[in-house]
Amino acid sequence: MDLQPTEEQQLIRESAEKFLADRYGPETFRALIDSDARWSPDIWNGFAELGWLGLPFPEDAGGFGMGPAEVVILMEQFGRVPVLEPYVSSVILCGKLIELLGTDEQRGALLGEIASGQLRLAFAHDALEGPMTVTRGADAFLLSGVKRAVHDAPMAEIYLVSCTLDDGTVAVFSVPANAAGITARSHNTLDGRRLSDLDFADARIPPEARLGGGTDGRAAIDEATAWAITASCADAVGAISAMVEQTVDYAKQREQFGQPIAKFQVLQHRLVDMKIAEEEARASVLLAALSLDGDAAMRERGASGAKAKVGRAARFVHQAAIQTHGAIGTTDELMLGWYAKRLVAFEKQFLPTRRHLGRYAEIISDPEAAAAPLLREATA
Amino acid sequence: MDLRLSKEDHAFRDEVRAFLAEHMTDGLRRAMELNTCFINEPPVALAFHKALHAKGWAAPNWPEEFGGTGWSPVQRYIYESESARVGAPTFNDQGIKHIGPILMKYGTKEHQDAYLPRILSGEDVWCQGYSEPGAGSDLASLKTRAVDEGDHYLVTGQKIWTTHAHFANRIYVLVRTNTEGRKQEGISFLIMDMDLPGIIVRPIDGSGGDHEFNEVFFEDVRAPKSGLVGEENQGWEIAKYLLEYERGGNPQAARVRARLSSVARLIKRYADDDPSLTLRLAEVGTDIDAMEMLELTLLSDLQSGKNPGAVSSLLKLRWSAMQQQLAELALDIAGEDALRWESGRPLYESLQLPPDTEEMLGIGPRYLNYRGYSILGGTSEIQTSILAKQLLGL
Ligand SMILES: Cc1cc2nc3c(=O)[nH]c(=O)nc-3n(C[C@H](O)[C@H](O)[C@H](O)COP(=O)(O)OP(=O)(O)OC[C@H]3O[C@@H](n4cnc5c(N)ncnc54)[C@H](O)[C@@H]3O)c2cc1C
Repeated sequence: MDLQPTEEQQLIRESAEKFLADRYGPETFRALIDSDARWSPDIWNGFAELGWLGLPFPEDAGGFGMGPAEVVILMEQFGRVPVLEPYVSSVILCGKLIELLGTDEQRGALLGEIASGQLRLAFAHDALEGPMTVTRGADAFLLSGVKRAVHDAPMAEIYLVSCTLDDGTVAVFSVPANAAGITARSHNTLDGRRLSDLDFADARIPPEARLGGGTDGRAAIDEATAWAITASCADAVGAISAMVEQTVDYAKQREQFGQPIAKFQVLQHRLVDMKIAEEEARASVLLAALSLDGDAAMRERGASGAKAKVGRAARFVHQAAIQTHGAIGTTDELMLGWYAKRLVAFEKQFLPTRRHLGRYAEIISDPEAAAAPLLREATA
Repeated sequence: MDLRLSKEDHAFRDEVRAFLAEHMTDGLRRAMELNTCFINEPPVALAFHKALHAKGWAAPNWPEEFGGTGWSPVQRYIYESESARVGAPTFNDQGIKHIGPILMKYGTKEHQDAYLPRILSGEDVWCQGYSEPGAGSDLASLKTRAVDEGDHYLVTGQKIWTTHAHFANRIYVLVRTNTEGRKQEGISFLIMDMDLPGIIVRPIDGSGGDHEFNEVFFEDVRAPKSGLVGEENQGWEIAKYLLEYERGGNPQAARVRARLSSVARLIKRYADDDPSLTLRLAEVGTDIDAMEMLELTLLSDLQSGKNPGAVSSLLKLRWSAMQQQLAELALDIAGEDALRWESGRPLYESLQLPPDTEEMLGIGPRYLNYRGYSILGGTSEIQTSILAKQLLGL
């Protein structure tokens, strides 16, 4: 058992703090929000130069072989900006899915290009399992139907598309965004990012575009999703921590009744509750991260537990932060409004808070599972 | 960063498990399951404590030179966590966790030789006389007087909420030895035998039906001066040292987790069809996960020689709330069954009911008693105010 950050982990944190402070201040964020694209190729290249776009990939696939602990350290800093670029979609969700499911050839072709910043991807998975039909043609699969709310699709060159085949297996296809038969209807999101609804009309997908050949994709999708949930929970903790910090600072300098409002005990106690929510949320993200190398049950417990816990903290903190700011808190004058929106969006992505709470509830309804301590067998 | 036990810690855990399997008898297990108080009464733990003592494990938090285990922080955590998991009792925390460490730091050699071995063996039971009718959260305003009369102190005044004073043969008290200057600076730390003439103990029954705490009156008690710990008027510093010592030495996540598991069992038995209950259980479950991670982080900080910072108030605030939520959840699961009231205590001795429903009888009393968790040892409001200073600089 050791929860001390390694030197390397501290370095990742410091270089993230430095890069984001230098290159991604509130003005940059606001300029991006005012742009149509909502992301910056320049920043993305900066991420690539720092090695972040290949952080969790194996070294033989052009990555840096880092683990979940490094990912959550980086993501927390991203959440403090908050970074608009499609890091979770491209690197964590799609990148991990390719790493876990892809053939050697597919990994070789795709991961290196993600790491070098040339490729962005979006996962068309659609938790609602929209009605997609797949027909096997002589030399291709034909995809028809809709995938809704595909996050970060507008900036992606490649979509990974999940489908259930006639034999009951789940396939994941790697499809160029500009392939014939695919139309994207794109929207801005509440938190300033972008998503698309994708219409497939007999889009022809060659068999070699199926990740992993004939392997059923379910297990890999679940694992990659657990990574993505953990990463976005860390992003939310970053937004939460920025909100707590800015609210404490604001309360110290805003004066009413002849004194800083931070002198009022009712506000002091609320600020403490916010800080505790932050600390607890960070702790559950670390648990989720350190559960990703376990078996499927451990991963799921970690990820759903964190999503439920961080979701609750996210809601409490953003509401309390707005209230403590008074009217200015209800505007976009300060960054506060953008953190609040980021946290609202966080709660919706990868299934809402209550669904994860429900999943976690199923797991611990078994008294044995509820009793299990977090310290683990040496051999696990 | 990882959560894996080393090979040595793993072997240690197995040794702890083997010990617990041998000494947690069915009778003790049932007594602990039916315990409704926030800590178990000393007599129920005595046999178990003696077994611990025989193994050299009576004081997990003491260094070896005083007869403690000398365990590493991780070993202590494992021990606490394993014993909480099986519901093992603790014997008189006020001795082992409170006065023991104080005597090791501020006591004379005579104090240490006289008291420490008897704490280890379970011969002595201690109680804590801090609170007074007029001095609760504002403890430093305490008024119980100790006047130097040459060869003894003359002690007059009253303590209240003194847990287990009716079991104790010794008491440590904060007394006023100086009425001038800052109120914190006129307080001394004094230990006394409970059978001194003029010490009178009167029970206070909690609304949960348990007799946990008492009033303790001091009517012209002649307390030997040898009972003074540290210097005269150093009492406040000594009381505060304990908080320091306890930092990280009092992990609670495993105790709360054991309750989580037993409430999960209650839901399975009595309310399997109500998802609103399992969702509330799950919320507490995620809270406990976070708390255990914070405790483990603290532990890891200690292990690597870092100063863990201001987390003890945070942990107390949170685990007391979680205990209360679980007791409340149990009450909601039980419905009208929780209204059956058995007034005899301890419950495990007084029950005449079929064993399959006897657990229902503890639920109401426990709910009521556990309201005290957010009051004892510094109320939640006081902890929050401490955190406002320590964590946020307010
Ligand atoms: C189960 C149990 C066991 C106990 N065992 C012992 C024992 O063994 N020995 C012992 O000495 N004592 C013991 N106590 C007493 C305990 O330490 C006191 O109850 C506690 O310190 C609070 O004091 P009080 O009850 O007088 O409440 P008060 O201090 O009167 O508080 C009343 C309310 O006012 C609030 N309040 C007070 N000051 C402030 C402030 N500055 N800001 C905001 N809110 C404030 C409190 O939070 C509380 O809600 C025990 C208590 C309980 C419940």
